[in-house]
Amino acid sequence: MKEKNQLNPGRKQPLILEIKGNALDDGPGIRSVVFFKGCPLSCAWCHNPESKRVGVEIGFEANKCVGCDTCIGVCPENALSRVNPFFVDRTACSLCFQCVKNCPSGALERIGRPMAVEDVVATVVRDKSFYDTSGGGVTLSGGEPTLFMDYTADLLRLLKAQGIHTLVETCGLFDIDAFTEKLLPWIDTIYFDIKIMDPADHKRFCGASNETILKNFKVLHEWAQNGGAEVLARTPLIPDITDTPENLEAVAAFLKQCGADKARLLPYHPLWKQKKFKIGIADPAGQNPKSMDAFQDETALQNCRSIFETAGITL
Amino acid sequence: MLLKTDAQSPAKGNLPSGRTLTHLLVKTLLHTVAANFHFRPGLKKYLQTDRGWFDFTVGIRTESHSVETAIRFADGRVSVLRNTPADCEVTLIFSSDTAVRRLLSATPTEQIFMLMKSDLKTVGNQSYMNLFFFYLSLLLHKKQKKSMVKERKTERRELQKKQPTPKTELSDELQQRHDCRLAADKIDAGVKYLQDPYLSGYGISDFPRVEAFLDTHFTTTAEVCPERPRLLTEWCKKHGFETDSDGNPWIPELRQGHAFKYLMENREPIIRTNDLIAGTTTTKEVGVVVYPDSHGTMIWGELLTVPHRSLNPYNITEETVDLLHREVFPFWVNRNFKEWVRHHYNSPLCQAIDERFAVYFVWKQAALSHTIPDFPKIMAKGANGMIEEIHAQLAESGRSPEEKASLAAMILCLEGLVAYAKHLSQQAGKEAAETTDPKRKAELIRLAEICGRVPAYPAQSLDEAVNAMWIAWVGLHMENTNAGLSLGRLDQWLQPYFEVDMAKLENPQARADYIRYAIELVACFYMRCTDHLPLTPDLANWYFGGSSSDQAITLGGLTPAGEDAVCDMTYIFLKVTEMLSIRDPNVNARFDPEKNSDTYLKRLCEVNLITAATPSLHNDAAIIASLEPLGYDIRDMRNWSATGCVEPTLSGRHIGHTNFEMLNMVAALEMALNNGRHPLMNWKLGPDTGSVAAGDFETFDRFFKAFAEQLGFLIDCSVAYNNMLGRAHQVIRPTPMLSSVIEDCIANAKDVTHGGARYNSSGAACIGLADVTDSLLVIKKLVFAEKAIGFAELKAAVDADFENHPAVYAMVKNKVPLFGSGSDEAVAMANRITKFVHNRFAAQSHYRGGRYTAGFWSMSNHVIFGTLSDALPSGRQAGQSFTPGLTPEPHASNSLLDNIRDVARLDPVHMNNNIAFNVKVVPGGEDSRQNIIDRMYAYVKSYFDLGGMQMQMNVVTSDTLKDAMAHPENYRNLLVRISGYNAYFVTLNRDLQMELIERAEYGL
Repeated sequence: MKEKNQLNPGRKQPLILEIKGNALDDGPGIRSVVFFKGCPLSCAWCHNPESKRVGVEIGFEANKCVGCDTCIGVCPENALSRVNPFFVDRTACSLCFQCVKNCPSGALERIGRPMAVEDVVATVVRDKSFYDTSGGGVTLSGGEPTLFMDYTADLLRLLKAQGIHTLVETCGLFDIDAFTEKLLPWIDTIYFDIKIMDPADHKRFCGASNETILKNFKVLHEWAQNGGAEVLARTPLIPDITDTPENLEAVAAFLKQCGADKARLLPYHPLWKQKKFKIGIADPAGQNPKSMDAFQDETALQNCRSIFETAGITL
Repeated sequence: MLLKTDAQSPAKGNLPSGRTLTHLLVKTLLHTVAANFHFRPGLKKYLQTDRGWFDFTVGIRTESHSVETAIRFADGRVSVLRNTPADCEVTLIFSSDTAVRRLLSATPTEQIFMLMKSDLKTVGNQSYMNLFFFYLSLLLHKKQKKSMVKERKTERRELQKKQPTPKTELSDELQQRHDCRLAADKIDAGVKYLQDPYLSGYGISDFPRVEAFLDTHFTTTAEVCPERPRLLTEWCKKHGFETDSDGNPWIPELRQGHAFKYLMENREPIIRTNDLIAGTTTTKEVGVVVYPDSHGTMIWGELLTVPHRSLNPYNITEETVDLLHREVFPFWVNRNFKEWVRHHYNSPLCQAIDERFAVYFVWKQAALSHTIPDFPKIMAKGANGMIEEIHAQLAESGRSPEEKASLAAMILCLEGLVAYAKHLSQQAGKEAAETTDPKRKAELIRLAEICGRVPAYPAQSLDEAVNAMWIAWVGLHMENTNAGLSLGRLDQWLQPYFEVDMAKLENPQARADYIRYAIELVACFYMRCTDHLPLTPDLANWYFGGSSSDQAITLGGLTPAGEDAVCDMTYIFLKVTEMLSIRDPNVNARFDPEKNSDTYLKRLCEVNLITAATPSLHNDAAIIASLEPLGYDIRDMRNWSATGCVEPTLSGRHIGHTNFEMLNMVAALEMALNNGRHPLMNWKLGPDTGSVAAGDFETFDRFFKAFAEQLGFLIDCSVAYNNMLGRAHQVIRPTPMLSSVIEDCIANAKDVTHGGARYNSSGAACIGLADVTDSLLVIKKLVFAEKAIGFAELKAAVDADFENHPAVYAMVKNKVPLFGSGSDEAVAMANRITKFVHNRFAAQSHYRGGRYTAGFWSMSNHVIFGTLSDALPSGRQAGQSFTPGLTPEPHASNSLLDNIRDVARLDPVHMNNNIAFNVKVVPGGEDSRQNIIDRMYAYVKSYFDLGGMQMQMNVVTSDTLKDAMAHPENYRNLLVRISGYNAYFVTLNRDLQMELIERAEYGL
């Protein structure tokens, strides 16, 4: 019961960050990806830092700003200043979004907006024809869609009613009973992140233990073997954190132990760093080795791959 | 200061009142010209034609008359006049003294842009302007050549500085695409013999003959061919043009019939070394055909420099220069479409607008060629059979002299065709006798047989059918300007001959050999089609960059009965398209979502991927839906072919002149914002429709009405000009050869130029739909709905090209959902515009009967019209290209699917001259060939399922294009699709190259 509460932020209604059309890398075929706002983990490298917090945020992108200062004039809290490197003083900001409304360039932005399930469906269903011709569908991602079980269940049900293939990308930290009861009947495929095997490291880099995650994977994988939704484990390759031989060997061993013979490795890209500035976060010190500034080179990637392949896991 | 140097102010002293120092400068220069002609004996001969002295006057002045003079050429003398007489043959009017001085120091390209940008305009016969430029060129050509070389070198240096090392991995990737080829199972019912319809076993290296032709194609500089203009002029001089040798007025059809026959009988019968097809369009390996009866004299001023220009140079011999200058052009100087209109309609406004470049270009001044001949008829019936049919019509009682002349002219043309074939047969026989190589000897003997038989008699085999078609094609180009005359449904029309041949073969090896032969024969036919190029003055390199003749071939789709038309020959043509990857023939594929197979559509995608740019893809259901309100027979609609670029013509029975004009819709928007004045031309040509500054627009609808009124005005003017030029065609160049292969002309005893065809229409290309839609959306939302900005304030920012208006610029760029973003309102706006345009065209009366149609594609003109337009409310800045065709703005959406859906939601009924929707997609490095094809297939199939009409994909990255700009030597065959036609990227002007680079790029 206790854990269940921890996993339920008490918000039935999630905020949606973005619905991305024509996605080619988030599952089979041509897909739309619905990004939820809010995640129970807090990974140091999170590629979508604006999706971590459940609540609404304000974003500022300096390269879009034309310097008209209209926003400074309309801000009731005097939270905007050219002296502040982030421009927005988030401690003072009351999130009234007057500045966003008046910003001509879109440099100031409201991050996250509530959307009725029906509106999400209406948006993604416009591309149904492309899902049909390509074997694609809709992917729920985040953030963490399982944070909002009831909403996500409604959404998945309506998508299935339209005959749309559904895929959920998850960090794995959720209440398994709610998941299997509410979501699983409407899911075709699950992309399940297995990031770090060492519990201490997991807690350190991802902000929570991996105990539930690994348990959940086992359960879902069993379901899959008995004809349930397909589950695919994915490991993001983060330099010196997840891509160490020890970790990858441990992940591979765990998958083998579960009976999984397929997985995916996600090559590292450093583009997330620019996104952090947008929501007012500087690079967190100590969690930012130099190696995190560059794209992963081909040899390093190959080394990671061979660890899995040696363990008999197809990539 | 003792000497006043300000060119704008009148100088004191002995200058006539109001004249400036520039006036003095110009007169001095003209006196120098005159002196040169008097004292240099080598020059004087150019003052003479074969029938006497040139006699004309060129006025030269500024708008304000601060400069005013003229130069007269008469009786072998050159004199400079004190004033500009009213009766000058042509007058050059400069916008200002500064413009005069700038022109004198400008590079050749800058001079072209000065003309297009209205620094200089002309009044009168432009042939004389070109002749005058030729005279200047006689004095200056060495300097001109030098400056051309210098300009080219400077540009090249700059490009290479940006990217000094070639990225060979990019050029290699394009070549490697040819090596990986998918195979497929036989699925389509119409495919009778091909076990793997993708013919994946064949590559270009399997056809050394064709490979050699391809190499010649990429390495041969075209040469101006004197044959057609020489023979045509010879005949017309001897037999008269307006009146015959007895002084009786010619019936134009009959005159053309005789002249055509003479031309065909006397042209050189050439069989290209090693070719399987006999006959050539010109006497050169690659020849430029001169049509002095249409726009030929436009090259007059460049005769000496055309081999040296940077873009698409042509070689030309001294003899050809002399022939054209002394014998040909003087005869035609007033006998062409444009000058006929100028004379007969007293220099109408609609023509003056056309000659200012910025608003519309009416193609009929050069050609009426956009149509599809009835090849099946000439293949099945033969010229002799057709002559019999015509004789039967002639024998009918009650025929008027004009009707009789029209029919007799058709007979003359067909006889000319047969005579030419006979000469080819003799030539083949002669060469066969001289050849020692047994294989080639056999081929030549076969060619002698073929040409002895076709096109006079019905074709009995594939090689006869192809040769008959080619000979007719040569004939048609001897009559009609090589601008968009198109080939039609060759897969459908050749399949019966393929089947007849195949049925005779029993063993598998013989069949396999024959399939190989059929591929080679079709490849030879494609290469034959590259043997000629249109004559383009340098200005046209910027106006219609890199375009060849655009001989469209159409494949697949439905049969006239509504069944699946895909057959063996469809795939054979696709194989050839893939292997050759050449710009012309322009291959168009029809796809019917109900009847055609996925196997076929995936093959179209694969060919598109390998060639990077072709074929163009059409949805039969939507095209036919667009034509339905025109009342055509359903079987004829199902038999449509793409013409020139993308436009539908009902094959063999329709003169649709589907590219009668290129219309700049943005000009109408600019005029609406300026109460009828076009800013760049600084000319109030349109009606008063209200002033933004005076607050005349209380609602958006009032402004839309103003826009519609200006656009309607431009449509009316261009249509009026088209109708006038249409009448000029009836007088100057009726086309009995073409008429004989267009259904109903024989039965009606009427030339196509008079409306003899079963169906008649003219179609426009309306350019800038996305730019106009987006601009109107900005005005509607920000000015009227949200009142975020005042209309006058917005206009002030637009007039200033947004300089010092960053917030307004940011707002228009970011706050309005554009066409292509998935916005219902944007789609509604685009539909509102196309509906207005369509209805306005549909309401016009047409000189041949039939209707005007509206299309939304742009060939290459979205670039030049952009150059000639100021900033727009959409945030598009002054001089920037418009989007190609009706393609959404690159920043309309991050999702290609939003673009695709919005375009598919436009109502085809208002776009009955088709559209061009350009998509740039690039495959990811790691995807398999099958994955890439599957995605391309998904885009196209869904677009068609949603109702889209046409789509064309460039499968190339901006990085590759940038590398090609800097290192063209690695990319001679890099094919790109502009907006309706294909071109070699490296032959394009830099503005077109940049436009292609800046197009939105979507991953695959």
